[in-house]
Amino acid sequence: MRKQALSGILGVLAAFAIGALVLALQGFNPVTTYGALLQYSLFSGSGFTATWTRAVPLVLTGLSASIAFASGPVNLGQPGQLVMGALGATLVGLFVHLPSAFLIPLCILASLLGGALWSGLAALLKRAFAMDEFIVTLMLNFIADYFALWAITYPLFDHSASSPMTRPINTAAWLPDLGGVNTSVLFMVLAAVVCWLVMRRGRSGYEWRMTGQNSLFARIGGCKVDANYVRVMLVTGALAGLAGGLMIMGGPHRFVKGLGANYAWDGIMIAVVANNSISGAFLYGLLFSALQQGAIGMELVTAVPSEFIDVLQAVIVLVVVAGRVSLNMVFDRLATKRKLKESTG
Amino acid sequence: MARDVLIDLQHITKVFPPDTVALSDVSVSFESGEIHALVGENGAGKSTLMKVFYGLERRDAGNIFFRGARVEFRTPREAISAGIGMVHQEILLIPEYTVWQNIVLGAEPVRAFGTIDADRAREAVRQKIEEFQFNLEPDALVGDISVAARQKVEILKLLYRNVSVLVLDEPTAVLTPQEIPQLFAELARLRDKGHTIIFISHRLDEVLTLSDRVTVMRRGKVVGTSAASELTKEDLARQMVGREVLFTSRRQPQEPGEIVFRARGLNCRDPEHCARLHDATVEVCAGEIVGVAGVEGNGQFELVNAIMGLAPMTSGTLEVKGKDITHADILTRRTLIAFVPQDRGKMGASVAASILEDAIMTHHILDPRFRTWRGLGLNYRHAAEFVDRIRGQFTVNMGHSSDPFGSLSGGNQQKVILGRELLLETPFVLMDQPTRGLDVGSIEYVHQLLLDLRSRKRAVLLVSADLDELFMVADRIVVMCQGEVVADLATDMTSREEVGYYMLGGKEAVHAETGS
Repeated sequence: MRKQALSGILGVLAAFAIGALVLALQGFNPVTTYGALLQYSLFSGSGFTATWTRAVPLVLTGLSASIAFASGPVNLGQPGQLVMGALGATLVGLFVHLPSAFLIPLCILASLLGGALWSGLAALLKRAFAMDEFIVTLMLNFIADYFALWAITYPLFDHSASSPMTRPINTAAWLPDLGGVNTSVLFMVLAAVVCWLVMRRGRSGYEWRMTGQNSLFARIGGCKVDANYVRVMLVTGALAGLAGGLMIMGGPHRFVKGLGANYAWDGIMIAVVANNSISGAFLYGLLFSALQQGAIGMELVTAVPSEFIDVLQAVIVLVVVAGRVSLNMVFDRLATKRKLKESTG
Repeated sequence: MARDVLIDLQHITKVFPPDTVALSDVSVSFESGEIHALVGENGAGKSTLMKVFYGLERRDAGNIFFRGARVEFRTPREAISAGIGMVHQEILLIPEYTVWQNIVLGAEPVRAFGTIDADRAREAVRQKIEEFQFNLEPDALVGDISVAARQKVEILKLLYRNVSVLVLDEPTAVLTPQEIPQLFAELARLRDKGHTIIFISHRLDEVLTLSDRVTVMRRGKVVGTSAASELTKEDLARQMVGREVLFTSRRQPQEPGEIVFRARGLNCRDPEHCARLHDATVEVCAGEIVGVAGVEGNGQFELVNAIMGLAPMTSGTLEVKGKDITHADILTRRTLIAFVPQDRGKMGASVAASILEDAIMTHHILDPRFRTWRGLGLNYRHAAEFVDRIRGQFTVNMGHSSDPFGSLSGGNQQKVILGRELLLETPFVLMDQPTRGLDVGSIEYVHQLLLDLRSRKRAVLLVSADLDELFMVADRIVVMCQGEVVADLATDMTSREEVGYYMLGGKEAVHAETGS
């Protein structure tokens, strides 16, 4: 755990150093660039709150991918599950008329169900036809995308709009702002805490993790690995769906074309850098959100294009993942040296 | 007869991080034209030493001299071209290829344009077979020949590359008692032709029969080298273990109780619909240890899988303590069966998980004390107490319970698994090769544990490839051959030769007798 944190911090610092080199080679000043990046993501009131709001889909899809990968199923369907969750929340938000106290939970439930429906479909195909979920979930992403596009272009189309989008959902379903921070952040933090409890303190989390590491051992140990597979798929789909629902309810309040396109893939990337840990997914989600939020300001203040952040993110992923392995090798070599000294001395 | 020093290993040290010293300042010299046995418990460093020499492992200190010159083999290929070949424990051949194809693979004689000159290759292999009198058919498919013959192919593969030094890592582990003398005769013939043979083993009888000199290793160090003629089995055992070892059975006479486990007429097929188990019937009584003997791959693994519900059976019934479990799910079986599988890392535990996580498997479902928060939570405090109980009761040498399971030594890993399974307190215990890969001390411990279970009236089914082990602890030995139970013998009324005879299906044994 401590090794993990160390390799993460060293990796991120090294990635920033590499990023600085890239900037310098292009003739930009790294100090002012990083300064602007931090200014607009963390060290200004509006930037700070925007970073947290932007982190909601990143963290939730990151948690979804982390739990799936740690437990065995290769669920790569977060983009599709997010879209279906968003569609679920939108439908309830458009057509159900209730006070906020009932409508908000109902919309959240619809988003969870929308995501779980989509991942559940993949789980069903696996159980019935032994189709690998990694390819099925990938393909379902396209179906979800075009299904949603059809829905907002034809049956749910807002005729006053010029591009595909729905009417705004009932204001009763809007998530309020609390001191500049959208309440969707609270739901995200709550979901992260529940995920941590389930995975680290729960009986199901224990079984899921053991199945992910060695499913034959878990099966011999009496774990119901097939049932657990379906549960993990449903839970991780619901998490991605929740991300979509919160994006609708907290943000534009309507389903706009291209929703979530840039976020959901980041979830898989976050799970990979976090090595499938819950706390890691939370922290890296915040970090990537800060980078993406700061990129807007950076582009305003300096001449560095915001695409630089994509480069920086990729470098972070590569350096942290590679660093994890090589750091272990360094530890091993140090241990060998110490032992050699002991045995000769 | 004074011989020249051919290989000189000096002050070799090898550390496996984080803190396992596999070899500590090891110096051994091998003379040309001798059979030199390297003996020691599992984990003493014999294989590691040879792997360092052969270029399979980096060493951390020391020097290697071959024919008087300092050498450094970085890969086995370099060692082979210098004239040194190693036969590993696992046989690595291509079953779909013939004997000669396997032998020339990687060093094929070629015609112009790089096509293989099959006639020349086949002829060269035939000559080698004749030269060393190996009794092999060059055109036989390797998949069709016996394990002993495959081992000959491995040796011939190296002789074809003109090696003068042969390193054999536990070559007798896969052989039946009848096949061992033949291998020894061949090795002696090789030595008489001037080859040097380094022979890794932990079976004391065969070491004394075969070798000229013996080097004993213990815990990564050399205890000493002596001429085999000056040693007794007891000397060797004392040097290996560092104390006196009992070779006699400690099994006390005891009347078995009622039948606890009953498998009747088990049949099962593999994915290609070949029969893997054929009408196998086994019964085990309370207070009885029944051993399952057989050459590997004759249905023992399928029997274990069928009992555990891991592989579907086509027919047959299973019963534990009067309860029919033929169609029961795995969890139901686990309430009645403690199971120690043969492969610790694949079936017995998750190597990446913590000791605690591996130790509480199955208990976390069956024992309500592992639950909190109305069954949603796992009681980690109780789990830690449980690990302490295993540590105390089964004398596990371990650090913190959150350390990775993989950081434990093989013997301690097995103790954690044994502790977990035996604390399930089930009437029936199924053990598949429980001492495989363990050191002599740990093996003694497991045997004692088995005898304790017997005196506590548990029914034990013990699958083992080690006949000595079966003769030491089992009350009865059932022999499996080609998926069938071909013999059910009372240990006190039978002999190793009789068991070996049934292991080979009662056919090849006769052949070996007339041959020797």
